Order: sequence, then C-alpha cells, then structure tokens
Amino acid sequence: MACYDPTLTRRQVLGRGIGLGLTLYASKLLTLDRVLEAAQAQAVPDAPVLVSVFLPGGCDLLGALPPMDQLGKLNDLRRSLAVGDEIPRMPGESRLGVHPALTDGLGGGIAGLFGAGKIGLLPGIDYANPDFSHFHSRHFWERGMVAEAAGPGWMGRWLDRHGSGDNPLQGLSMDSTLSPVLTTAGAPAAAIDDPGDAALSFGGTWGKGADKAAQVWEQLAAVPRAGAGPIAAGRAAALTSQVGRMLSPYASDAKAGTDPLAGPIAYPTGKFAARLRSLAGLIAQPLGIRVATIDAPGDYDTHDDQPTDLDKALRELSQGLSAFQADLEARGVADRVLTFVWSEFGRRPKSNDSVGTDHGTGGIAWVQGTRARGGVLSDVPDLGALGADGNLAVTIDFRRVYASLLEGWMGTDAAEVLPDAATAGRLALVR
Amino acid sequence: MRTRPMNSTVADWTEDHVRRLFWRAGFGATPGEAADFAARGREATLAFVLDGPGTGAPMGDLVGTVPTVKGQPLDPINEWGHDALWWLDRMVRTTRPLVEKMTLFWHDHFATASQDTPLMIRQNWLLRSRGLGDFHHLLDGVTRDPAMQLFLSLADSTKDAPNENYARELMELFTLGGGYTETDVREVSRALTGWRTKRSRGGLPSIHWQAGLHDTGSKRIFGRTGRFGTQDVMRLVTQHPRHAPFLVQQLWDFFVTEPLDPATRAALVRTYRGSGLQLKPVVAAILGHDALYARLDAPDQVKAPVVHVAGLLRTTGTPITIDSYTWLLNQMGQMPFAPPSVAGWDWGPSWLSTNAMRARVTLANTLLAWGSAPLKPPAGAGNPAWSAEQHLDAALAAMGRPWLSGGSRAALLGLAAGFYDGAKPRQDRADMLQRLLRHLLISGPDAQLC
Repeated sequence: MACYDPTLTRRQVLGRGIGLGLTLYASKLLTLDRVLEAAQAQAVPDAPVLVSVFLPGGCDLLGALPPMDQLGKLNDLRRSLAVGDEIPRMPGESRLGVHPALTDGLGGGIAGLFGAGKIGLLPGIDYANPDFSHFHSRHFWERGMVAEAAGPGWMGRWLDRHGSGDNPLQGLSMDSTLSPVLTTAGAPAAAIDDPGDAALSFGGTWGKGADKAAQVWEQLAAVPRAGAGPIAAGRAAALTSQVGRMLSPYASDAKAGTDPLAGPIAYPTGKFAARLRSLAGLIAQPLGIRVATIDAPGDYDTHDDQPTDLDKALRELSQGLSAFQADLEARGVADRVLTFVWSEFGRRPKSNDSVGTDHGTGGIAWVQGTRARGGVLSDVPDLGALGADGNLAVTIDFRRVYASLLEGWMGTDAAEVLPDAATAGRLALVR
Repeated sequence: MRTRPMNSTVADWTEDHVRRLFWRAGFGATPGEAADFAARGREATLAFVLDGPGTGAPMGDLVGTVPTVKGQPLDPINEWGHDALWWLDRMVRTTRPLVEKMTLFWHDHFATASQDTPLMIRQNWLLRSRGLGDFHHLLDGVTRDPAMQLFLSLADSTKDAPNENYARELMELFTLGGGYTETDVREVSRALTGWRTKRSRGGLPSIHWQAGLHDTGSKRIFGRTGRFGTQDVMRLVTQHPRHAPFLVQQLWDFFVTEPLDPATRAALVRTYRGSGLQLKPVVAAILGHDALYARLDAPDQVKAPVVHVAGLLRTTGTPITIDSYTWLLNQMGQMPFAPPSVAGWDWGPSWLSTNAMRARVTLANTLLAWGSAPLKPPAGAGNPAWSAEQHLDAALAAMGRPWLSGGSRAALLGLAAGFYDGAKPRQDRADMLQRLLRHLLISGPDAQLC
C-alpha cells in the first residue's frame, strides 16, 4: 500500500495544547512527555498563507481559456460549443482567449488580474495516465499523491509537520465540513461557516451556570476514548469550543449592523463571496491562519448545457476572487497571501451532443496574488496532438506545482509532505 | 459466518443489543422498546426489524402526532425544506425504521440532487419500495428514473455523441467500484443512448424512449460483443464479478464499523448471488452478525446528521413542530435531497467538523428552547431537593435514556454536585441544572455515537 505516513517530529508536537494533547495521548499517537512538551505555543507573525480554491466537477480548460491560435481546430472539435473570434483576449497574451465571464468583477475580474501580472496560469495541468473518475482524481489532488489509500490531505500533512499544536484556525475550511485537503494526522484544523457566529453557547444557562456549562463541556471532551469515531467526537467537542473562544471578539451583530471582520471592499452577493470576505477578514487578524480552503460554487461538471453552467460558475468565481484580491490588498496583507485555484481534471476537446463536454485531461489551475509570478507558466496543450483517446496532452503535473508551492511559497522542504517530491521537478510560481 | 445459532438464549440478548441494532438499522430505541425486545430475544427482534410488525402498509405506517409547522401541515412540494421534513417525519414515526434507513442508504448510493421536488420525492419512493428487494430491479428503476436521468445527463444522450456521465457513475459508484476500462465507459454510454426528455409547458419533465436516437451498432463491453442496449447493460454490470463484493462492502460499511473480514465477505457474496441479487438476505446477515454488536459498552459509529435528529425525536417521542431542522441539518452537513455530489456524503468521523459540532450544539439549544415536549423541559423540571444522581437520572429519563460513558457520567455528576456552589439550592437553579444536563445528554460527544 502506497501510504505515506509522516512520523511526528519534535517541531510538530511543540505547541500542542493540553486539551488536544490529552486527546492524542488517549489515542496513543503521542507519549506523555511529548504531551507535556506541547504546552509551548508557537506563533509565527506575518507567515505566508496559502489559500486553496477548488472548482468541483472538472473545469473545462478550452472553454475557460480558448487557445485563439488554434481556433479552427477547436471549433472543428466543438461544433455545439463554437467559440467566436470576437471573444476577449487575455490582456498581453494574444494567443489566449478568455471566457467573457472571467472578465467580470473588480478591475476586470480574473482577466484583469492576469493583465496586472497577479495571475500565473497553469493550463494542461494533470498527472500521467489520468483517471477520469471525479472521485479518484479529486482524491489524488487532495492528498498530493496518485494513490488510492485514505489518509491526511497534503495541506493537512504540512500542518502536521509545521503547524502549531494548539491552533485549529491555522488550517481553515470556509465550509460546514473540513476539506479533505486539510485533514491531518494530529494537528488541529477547523471548518467555519460563519466566523461572526461561532461562539458555543448552552441554551437556558446564564451567569455562573453558563460558566459551569463551558467547564463541563471541556471535561466531556477530554474523557478518554478509543476508536476513530469516539476520538473524533471528543476532539470535535474540544476544538469547537476553542474556535468559539478564539472568534468571540469577531462576533457580528445583525441588529446593530456591526461586523468586526468587515473590510473596505464591496463583495458581490452569494455565499462564496461572503466566505471569501470572511476569510480575508480573518487572515488580516492575528489568528495564525496558514492554510485555508474554500470550494467555488457552480457546476463545472458540464456534461450538458455547458454555455449556461460554465458562464454562471466562472462569473461568480471571477467576481468573488477579484473582490477577495482587492480586499487583501486594501487590508495590507496581500503580500503574504497566495491563492491557488484548481479543479480535479479537464474536459474532452470534442463536445458531446448534449451541448456539453465529458471528462478529459489537461485541466486548468492558477496561482493568484501580488507575489504570484504572472503569465502563462505551462504549455497550452496542442489540439493537433491529441492523445489516442482524443484527450489533451498533460503539460504539467500537479505534484510539481505542489512541490513548488511548498518550497517557493511556504518555505519548507517539499519532501516532508510529498512522496514524489524528489522526481516532481520545480517551477517558479512566486516572485 | 460468525452468526449465532437461531436458538440463542435471552442471556445473549440484552437491552444494549437492542439499542445497538435499533440505532444501526434505524433511528434508535425508546426505553420501552429496549426492554420489550430484550425480552423477546434475538431472533424475534431481528425478524421484527427486517419484516416489520406484519400488519399495515408494506412500507410502514406512520404513528403518533402528525407534524406541523406554525400550526400548518407540511407542504413538501411547495415549501422550501419541507421535503426534508417530510422524510424526517417518516424516520421519526414509521413502524418500519429499516425501510427508511435503507432509503437513506440508497439516497447516498444513488445520490441525486438539484431536480424538481416532485421528481425527487418520486425517486425517494422508488428507493423505498425497492430498497430491500432485487438489486437488478432497483438499478433498472434508478436508470429510468427522471431525476437520475436528468441529474447525470442520461436523458438526451444520443448516438451521434453519447454522454458518458451516467455510464461512468453506473460502474464506478453504483455497481462495480473498479475493474472496467475507459473503453467500457464509452461503449456503455453508446448502449445507453436513446432516452429523451419531454417537457410539457409549465409541467414536469418526463423521460421517453426514442428508438431513433439509440445506437444500434455493435458494442464491446467487458470483453463481450453485442448490439447491447439498456437492459443488457443492467445485466452486464450486475453479473460482473466485481459487483457482488462491491455492493456487500458498501452495505457492511453502512451498518458496521468493524472491518469486513474476507471470510464474511465471501459468505455475504454467496448469500447475495445465491438469492439472485436479493438485498434483504444480505442485510439480514449483516444485522445478525456478531461484529455489529462489538463494544456494546462504547458505541463507535458517528451518527449521520439525519440519523441524529430523527433518533432524538424518535427515542424521546417528540413530534416535528418547527422547521429549524432544515437549516440545522444543512449546517450539520447533511441536507436530505441535496447530497454534495453524485458520490453522496462522507460518512463517519468526517461528519464532526468544528462547524458541524457547533450545529449539533445549536440543535440542542433549539430543541430545548423551541421544541415541543418532552424535549423542551417545562418550568419546574428540576427539584432543589434532588441529589446529583437524582438530577442526572431525571434528565436521562426525559431524554429517552441515551447511552452515557462512565467518564461522561462522572463529569455530569460532578456538575450536578457542584452546581449550587455550596449555596442553598433554589428552584430556578435546579431548573437550569436540569436544562443543562438534558442539553449535554443530547449535544455532548457521547450523543454523537451509536
């Protein structure tokens, strides 16, 4: 079984909180002396932050970024999805078109950010012999390795190595559930739907009764437990109350119209934008956020009605991410935040008869930020050189990008996290 | 297979066994049910769970208080979230909990979302009525089901450019899990062409067969060649050697936390194939297996959100009188009729993110403040004269005697013993203590496990 199991290092256990340490101790992951070591907290101000934005379903590279220098071939393959010569070009990159929805948003949306040198595009991203299953491919990307076995996500493994042991907010999913990218072997991580309403309260108690409720909740969380389910229950109880305490200064008040996390940038409506807005606000606070995930809305699995669905999804993405970038810049934290946008695979060059496209290879990803290396960072696949099954050539492996993010942005050895780091190669993604 | 002899004695069968079975195969046992079925014995209890009371509607009758929201009956077709409440109510009040639990299993297995509510409810009835029958019959129904066809683009997939969406998930998620090639995906998608959507103005879409759109040519699937069509595909995938091991694993993992050992897997596969792909004998074998009853003193399956909510209401005899369950289930990560993808939900410990755990606390807040009796405690629920043990016992009785670990019991007794800070107990403080104990019994870590 190709299971990568990072051993716990001293650095990793440093800073583990006692509550978490006891949970881990109960689960036999740590020895007692390591639990006691864990009392020292580590805080790393101004540390780089990596934000993962997932486009679920398999975003269509050729629909999002039509290769205008191959337009004839493209339209031969896509009779029902023909691209006109009039569509916008990527600013400063005449060979590449851009879906009009990606020009929507502050400063011209994603296209505007590209023109400003804040986006490095990674067309043709995938891995060798790609799997056309959503769930297999997604799992590989989430774990940072092409292997079926279950286990922590790649950002989760980074937290296990380099994160603090007592800060669940260091790994944050802006969602009701924790992203598989962020599942860890031991380090705490959190899922938050609304940071303005995260405090834990026990209805019908107040005063000393409420204090006692909070105390007994910690005791219940710390009861020794064995087995994956029981340990998860105790751990969730402990982390939930901790997250509530950490976020209590940022509680919003709808009646008073106050929101301590509000920033200077107006976002579009919708949950995605609201979550990006909250995330920007949280990153700007001294909460120790290091890696964060957010799922983009919309249907990228465009087997049918692709023109409608892709437009809607890319528009919301472009509006949201351009507001997020402007917000980070306005808050003065943009230089320490890099956003990585990805999807589990690309789509077939030849369209189907449902005005859609089936699963394919050679997808789309990009890095975004004031310190991102702008431009087109990988080769656009050649429509004249499709594989035997009619799919795009893979021009860059996602593991090469991950290794480059870990070393070039997070500043840590990729081999600690990625089993294929030695052979993956590297690519400059930041400046 | 390590199943008990059918003449097992009452001593082999305790209230803890009944609670385990009723939670895993349904939505928990009331104290009365636990005592009653412990006395009836293992064989009679399993027969009751599998076959129902033997009278009434085949899919179960609903007993007890009809749900209302703001005094009005549910309107599952027109009111947002009432579809979820409608199904939740079935889980709470049905005489056949296993039927609803299997419907939930199939809703996750054949996960479908984003379709018109009448079509989703129609699919829900399909899953319910065939969920313990013949898998081939179930799969055939799902393949023709309008909600599924529209969700996975099988409708309007034509011979000129077949859509691979349904073909791939049919093999990967519904029947095989692996053991097929990309060629198989393409050839199966050709074989499944010919279904057409018909939309009447202002009405619901329906699915029709249109022979002219079907690819009548020869296809090669799993190494066999023929002019295959939809019926042939159903036969090919269910006769594939990977199908039976795949499906029994899925069923096992739904009910049991222990790993499935090779000998048991082989026995379940024999049962499944030997019965002609009947589901009920496989489910019966799993529910009767010793592994289901491992660690009765320390439940270790994380309750799925809908199981948690339905179980709370069912084991306490609380009717649905508020619609808060819809947004609470959403926050807990499981909105019925809206699975996150065709792969369904991630089960097990993944349910317990920090956000979801907070939602489970909010659920308790909501039930104690806005729910109806007996979950909502009346004023005077506590008694200042009670000992710590009496306080805890009163709370346990009100909450349907949920399982509590020794460590948690000690913590709650400590809370009760020290709650008055040495001052003279007063009625308002006794009521607060009773509210808090009840809250923690349904919100704490133990309450998330079954």
